[in-house]
Amino acid sequence: MIKKLEKILPLVQKPARYTGGELNSVMKDKEKVDIRYAFCFPDSYEIGMSHLGIKILYSLVNDRADAWCERVFAPWPDMEEKMREHDIALFALESGDPIKDFDMIGFTVQYELCYTNIINMIDLAGLPLYSKDRTALTPLIVAGGPSVCNAEPIADFVDLCMPGEGEEITNELIDLLKIHKKKGSTKQEFLREAAKLDGIYVPSLYDVSYNDDGTVKAIKAKDGAPATVKKRVVSDLDKVFYPEKLIVPFIEVVHDRVTHEIFRGCIRGCRFCQAGFLYRPIREKSPETISCQCEHLIKTSGYDEVSLSSLSSSDYTQLETLLDKLLEWTVPQKVNIALPSLRVDNFRKDLIEKLTSVRRSGLTFAPEAGSQRMRDVINKNVTEEEIMSTSRKAFEGGWTAVKLYFMLGLPTETEEDIKEIAALARRVVDVFYAMPERPKGKTVAVNCSVSTFVPKPFTPFQWEPQLSREQILARQELLKTTNTNRKVQISFHEMHVSFLEAVFARGDRRLSKVIENAWRNGCKFDGWDEYFNFDVWMNAFAECDLDPEFYANRTRSYEEVLPWDHMDYGISKKFLIRESEKAKQAQTTAHCREQCAGCGADKLNGGECDARCKNLVF
Amino acid sequence: MRDVRIWFSKSGAVKYVSHLDMFRLMTRAVRRADIPLWYTEGFNPHPYISFLQPLPLGVETCYEPLDIRIEGEIENEEIKNRLNAVMPDGMHIEAVTQAFCKPAEAAYGEYKIVLDAEDISAEEVVRIIENGGLTCEKSAKVRGRKGTKIVDVSAAIHSYEVKQENDTVVIFVTLPASPELTLNPLQFLTGISNQYGTVLYPLEASRIRLLCADMSAFS
Ligand code: SF4
Repeated sequence: MIKKLEKILPLVQKPARYTGGELNSVMKDKEKVDIRYAFCFPDSYEIGMSHLGIKILYSLVNDRADAWCERVFAPWPDMEEKMREHDIALFALESGDPIKDFDMIGFTVQYELCYTNIINMIDLAGLPLYSKDRTALTPLIVAGGPSVCNAEPIADFVDLCMPGEGEEITNELIDLLKIHKKKGSTKQEFLREAAKLDGIYVPSLYDVSYNDDGTVKAIKAKDGAPATVKKRVVSDLDKVFYPEKLIVPFIEVVHDRVTHEIFRGCIRGCRFCQAGFLYRPIREKSPETISCQCEHLIKTSGYDEVSLSSLSSSDYTQLETLLDKLLEWTVPQKVNIALPSLRVDNFRKDLIEKLTSVRRSGLTFAPEAGSQRMRDVINKNVTEEEIMSTSRKAFEGGWTAVKLYFMLGLPTETEEDIKEIAALARRVVDVFYAMPERPKGKTVAVNCSVSTFVPKPFTPFQWEPQLSREQILARQELLKTTNTNRKVQISFHEMHVSFLEAVFARGDRRLSKVIENAWRNGCKFDGWDEYFNFDVWMNAFAECDLDPEFYANRTRSYEEVLPWDHMDYGISKKFLIRESEKAKQAQTTAHCREQCAGCGADKLNGGECDARCKNLVF
Repeated sequence: MRDVRIWFSKSGAVKYVSHLDMFRLMTRAVRRADIPLWYTEGFNPHPYISFLQPLPLGVETCYEPLDIRIEGEIENEEIKNRLNAVMPDGMHIEAVTQAFCKPAEAAYGEYKIVLDAEDISAEEVVRIIENGGLTCEKSAKVRGRKGTKIVDVSAAIHSYEVKQENDTVVIFVTLPASPELTLNPLQFLTGISNQYGTVLYPLEASRIRLLCADMSAFS
C-alpha cells in the first residue's frame, strides 16, 4: 500500500473498502500482462460487491493469462475528500495503482442515478470527462449493464458501450484492444474496428440531429458503424463461464452470500418492467449445473447462504428438483437457501418450509396496483383472490407482517384505482383477523411501499408520460387520506428521485451537459437520500436550457424517433405497440409458457427461447 | 467438545478489518477449513467463536488469541495447518493451543508504533512522554449514557522505549489491557499528538503480545 494511503485510511469510515486483499481477490504481475482492466462500479463498495455481474466478469477476465482485471468502487465522500486533499488519484483495489495508467476502464451502469458518480470517478482518476478530450487509445472508457440500453445521457463521456450480456464480448474487446495497442493504432482506428463487433456501440460514430420541437430527427451511423447495434446474448447458460471462486469481502456488504442466477429473462411481461424485457429471451440453467457450482462456491468462500436469483424464481421450471438437489448438501453443511422474487400466485407453503432462511419477520409481495383493472393494464397477472389466499397462508405460517409494493401514476390510473390500494391493504388486514386460530396477543402490520411509475425504454410504456410532480403529490395525498386503517402503513418513495430517473431513462445526448453541471455543483451519490439534491439538479437543467419535463412528462407518439432507436434488444417495436394498445384496453397477455407473444427476442438467440421450447414439448 | 485457543497474526489490509468483521472472517475461514465446529442447538444454530481482546481498526498484531469450540477428533497441529491453507493474505495462524489463561487474566499489551521521522524525531517523542500530562478522550458510559471521558495516558504507561531507525521513529510501549482499563496504541499516540500540537499518523501500529499482571506472557 502506498504511504500516502496508509496515512489517510485511519481517518475514514470503513477503511477496508479501499484496501483490497480480500480472500480470492486476484493478484498478478503487472509486467506479465498485456491488458490492465479497471472494472468500476459507480457506487459504494458495499453495493458493488453485492453485484453478481461484476464478480462473473472479474473472474472471466482474470482467467486469461494476458489480462488483469481489478476492482474500483466510488470512494465514499469522506474518502474522496481525503484523496483530493492528499493528491491521491483513483486507484484500483488490487494493485493500488492509479487507473489512469490502465488500458481499459469499464463502468457497469445499473441505474440512472449513478451518472454523476461515473464522471466523478473519471475526474478522480485524473482524466478528462469527455471522450473527445481523451485522445490517446488508452485508457479506453467503456460501459455495460442494463442502463446502457439507452446510454445517450452518458454517450459523450464514454468511448464505447456493450449492450447486453458481457460474458463473450468482454473477451472479444480485450483481444481487439490488445492487437491495436501492439499495432500502435489511434483511438479512432480502434473504435471503428470495435464498432464492427456484434454488441459494441460506439456513440461517437452516430450523428444525432434534432427537430425544432426538441425531439430527435434522425440518428445516423457513420464510418462503417452498423445502423442498429444488437445486444449480445449468451446462448447456453450451462456452458457459459462461471467463477470458481468469489471474492469474500472483509466488511459486511448488502448481499453477503453466494448468489446464483438460475435463469435469464422473464416469462411474465409486466408492461412497466424493463428488466422483464431487457433480459429476454428466456434461458434456464440446469439444476445439476447450479447445484454443483453452488457447492463449489460455498467450499471456496466459507459462506453459509446461497441465494437463487432471477426475476421470478417460481417460474424456474425445475424448482423442486433444484431444491432437492441443493438440500442434499446444504442441510449437512448448515447452509441456508434464500429464494427471493417468489411470485404471489404460486407461493407454496410446503416449498417455503423447505427453505430455512425465509425469515419469520416479514414477507413481501408486489401486487403493484390496487384494482384488478389496473393490474390488467400493467399485465401483472395476479388476482385479488391469489393475494388473499397467499396472505392467509403466510399468516397461518406464523408471519404477522406483510410488505406490499405498489406503483402510483400508472397509465390510465383513476382515483378509483388509487383508493383500491388502501382497500386492498385493508382486506389483507381483514384476512388476518378472520383467522380463527390467529396467534394470541399478536397484531398484524401491512406496510405498503408506494413508488412512482417511471416509464422505461424497451417496455410497452416507453411512450407514456410520467405524471407531473403536482399530480403525483395530489395522488399521494389522496391515498394517504383514503387509508384509515391503523394496521396499514403507507410510505412513499422520494418522488423527485423518480422524476430524475424518468428524465434520464429516456433522455438524449444533450443531457450530458446537465449531468456535468450538476456534478460541478456538488451532485454525487444521487441514489442516496443523504446526498440527493434536487434543487441543484433543477438548476442544472435551467442553466443548460433544457426542460426536464420534456423528457419525463410528455406523451410520445409511436412515430417519434426515440433516442435509443438504434439499439436492438430483440424486442420489436411492433410487439411493444401491440402491448401498449392492449394496455389501453386493459387486456392482458398470457405469460410466455402459455403462449409466445412474439416479442422478437428469440431472434437474438438463433430463434431459441426456453419459454417457447418448453411450450412445444408440453 | 473442547475449547481451543488459536493464536493468529494479522498485517496488511486485514488490519482494517473491524472486530465484528473479524468474527465473520474467522467463521468463514473455519468453515472453509472444514474444522468440526460445535454448534448451538435451536432454530438458528451458530458456532462458538470468541475474540479475547478487541483491537482497534488499523492495528496489526503478532500473536492474538481467539477461542473456538470444536467437536470431534482433530489435532491442534491439524487445525493450524488446515486454517493456514484457507486464510486471506495477511492473516496467519501462529499456533493452536489449549486455553490456559482465563480471558480476565490479561492485564497488559505490548505495542510497537512506527512513525515517519519527517513528522517527529525520537528525542521529541521522549521529551513529550517524560514531560507527562498526556491525555486522550475515550468513549465511556457516563451515568448510564454514552459519552466520553478523559483518560490520563501518562499514568497508564507501564514502560516504553523509543528508537530512531533510518527514516522512522519506533516506539515500544506497554499499556493496560484489563477489564478495568484498556488503552490502545492509537489512544497513546493521540496523547502524544495532543502535546505535540499536530496529529501524528502511524506508519505502523501493532500489538506484540498480551501479558498477565505479573508480566508473564498470556497463554
Ligand atoms: S420469444 Fe416468445 S416466449 Fe420467448 S420471451 Fe419472447 S414472447 Fe416470450
